[in-house]
Amino acid sequence: MMSPFRCVLYVSGLLLVLGLRPAVHHPLMIRFRNCAGNRPLQLSGELYSNSFGELFSVQQFKYYVSAIRVMGEGEGARGGGEVRNGEREVHGSGHDRDGGREEEVLLKEAHLVDEGDSSSLVLHLSTDLADIRRISFVVGVDSLANTGGVQGGDLDPMLGMFWTWNTGYVYARLEGESDSAHSPAHRFTWDIGGYKDPSNALRTVTLDVGAGGGSTSGGVQGRGADGKKEICITADVLKWFDGKSPVHLVRTPICHQPGALAMRIADNYSTMFSVTP
Amino acid sequence: MRSLRTIGCLLMVIAMGLAWMSGGRKPVPMKLPVPAGWPAPQYDFKKNPLTKEGFLLGRKLFYETALSRDSTISCASCHQQFGAFATYEHPLSHGIDNTLTTRNAPALENLAWEKEFMWDGGINHLDLQPLAPLTAVNEMGETIAEALHRLRRDTAYVRMFSEAFGDTAINTQRMGKALSQFLVMLVSADSKYDRVIRGKDSFLLPERLGYGIFQQKCGSCHREPLFTDLSYRNTGIPLDNTLNDYGRMRITGDRRDSLKFKVPSLRNVAITHPYGHDGRFFSLLNVFEHYRKNMIVTPLTDSILQHRLPLSNFEIGQLTAFLNTLTDTTFLKNPLFAPPGYVITPVFIHRH
Repeated sequence: MMSPFRCVLYVSGLLLVLGLRPAVHHPLMIRFRNCAGNRPLQLSGELYSNSFGELFSVQQFKYYVSAIRVMGEGEGARGGGEVRNGEREVHGSGHDRDGGREEEVLLKEAHLVDEGDSSSLVLHLSTDLADIRRISFVVGVDSLANTGGVQGGDLDPMLGMFWTWNTGYVYARLEGESDSAHSPAHRFTWDIGGYKDPSNALRTVTLDVGAGGGSTSGGVQGRGADGKKEICITADVLKWFDGKSPVHLVRTPICHQPGALAMRIADNYSTMFSVTP
Repeated sequence: MRSLRTIGCLLMVIAMGLAWMSGGRKPVPMKLPVPAGWPAPQYDFKKNPLTKEGFLLGRKLFYETALSRDSTISCASCHQQFGAFATYEHPLSHGIDNTLTTRNAPALENLAWEKEFMWDGGINHLDLQPLAPLTAVNEMGETIAEALHRLRRDTAYVRMFSEAFGDTAINTQRMGKALSQFLVMLVSADSKYDRVIRGKDSFLLPERLGYGIFQQKCGSCHREPLFTDLSYRNTGIPLDNTLNDYGRMRITGDRRDSLKFKVPSLRNVAITHPYGHDGRFFSLLNVFEHYRKNMIVTPLTDSILQHRLPLSNFEIGQLTAFLNTLTDTTFLKNPLFAPPGYVITPVFIHRH
């Protein structure tokens, strides 16, 4: 019979050994580039046209991304030697191995991408994976944050992406002016959110990064590479209108609450992302 | 094992010494008074432990007019202690710039037992509740950022946030937590009714008869001990076409929730008039008349009210006598809940 004290010693020793094992962290930069079709998005009154010919300008374009994961091959799998098993905490993120393919959670918390704040368009993260094949993330804020009281950081209600009268986060916002919008001052505002069924507007997006794990400025891939990996994600605002089903400014210039319209627009914008090679 | 204990004790002494040297004062823990026989509170105290410093900060914020855009109104403007933290006599709450809201300010009592707030239950956490009146243009009309900015410029707040939370950071989260610490302490459980239940007092005959009628005709929705079952019900109150307030339906988007509003607690009911979500009933008598005569019954009206609520004049008299026993003067005059620095003159002190 092992005394509890010795037991604690063994366990902590084991943890120490696991913790000291060298892990290679590759810096990974994720860049968001917002555009309207083939033109870069401007918040300065530039006119864009959706596929129905409705002309509009954009004043605000914001969205939350959370639970960013990358899938690909890790050091172990690539080197053919050591193979990791089970779950391990790396920089507070989960790490899973699945038949030679590895998956790593890079960022659990929600990050607000705001076209009006250039510092929000770049995320500096790090990954264990030598070769990233796919990236996935959730557009929106998970239900725990929607029900857990006042949150901080990018989720601070102060930032305005929050409904105070009907608790919940605005997952994504597109706001601007259009002569097609018959709302006051021709302003259209699409605030999309909702965490309760059947109006849960969370959408998971998975994108192929392609061979090479994004562009590599250092030119070297894999273990020991000093090269910075970069994944550039493009978000096309035009997809909000027709990504899956048509939503016209002339009919629905305002969306301010969870529900059927928000669900349709969320379906649409879930298709707006692509990885730029 | 003895040596381990010695080491443990030494470590503790060192830690305490370090804490003393750094001058860090731990906030003094407080406990929510849970009346005997009540269910467990719903508020999650693990995420926001009650402390004396947090409570005092919350109380100061509750009475703070600088939280409104023109520094004229505070939470307490519409939630007055002598009216059980409802607005005495205003059917609809008054906001800045001569605005009116569309609802009657509800009494604030026993909030630690509630999970959803507002007449329509739209807000799912007590810490978030203050952000709605703070930012609404027809209430305090301020932005969260500007309100926090004002607090940060006030040295008294910098000190109090530091005492309550360990450092001088003033943010949305801490403001919500401090206000919640004050709000959950607003426990009303010392009315004559409560004393009778505890065996410390006895009802007069009309009060006792009224209690029997209450249990039979009102108690299924206004359930003891909170005097509400916290559900949302359509009680046949017709739509006011100037307010167009469909209640719970605005939150759920479900047509079946049309004109449903939260069942209000009847604690302190004698002093929380006017009644109803929009304050349309000026007296208890108006409410009784509504239930027995004026209800507009539709298929969406609550199933137990499909035949209205028959009440005789005799029953109304006894019920009124009983409802008056729910007034809790200990709560209404508790100096702990009064504005900071507010001195209660002996005349106001009510002794039992």
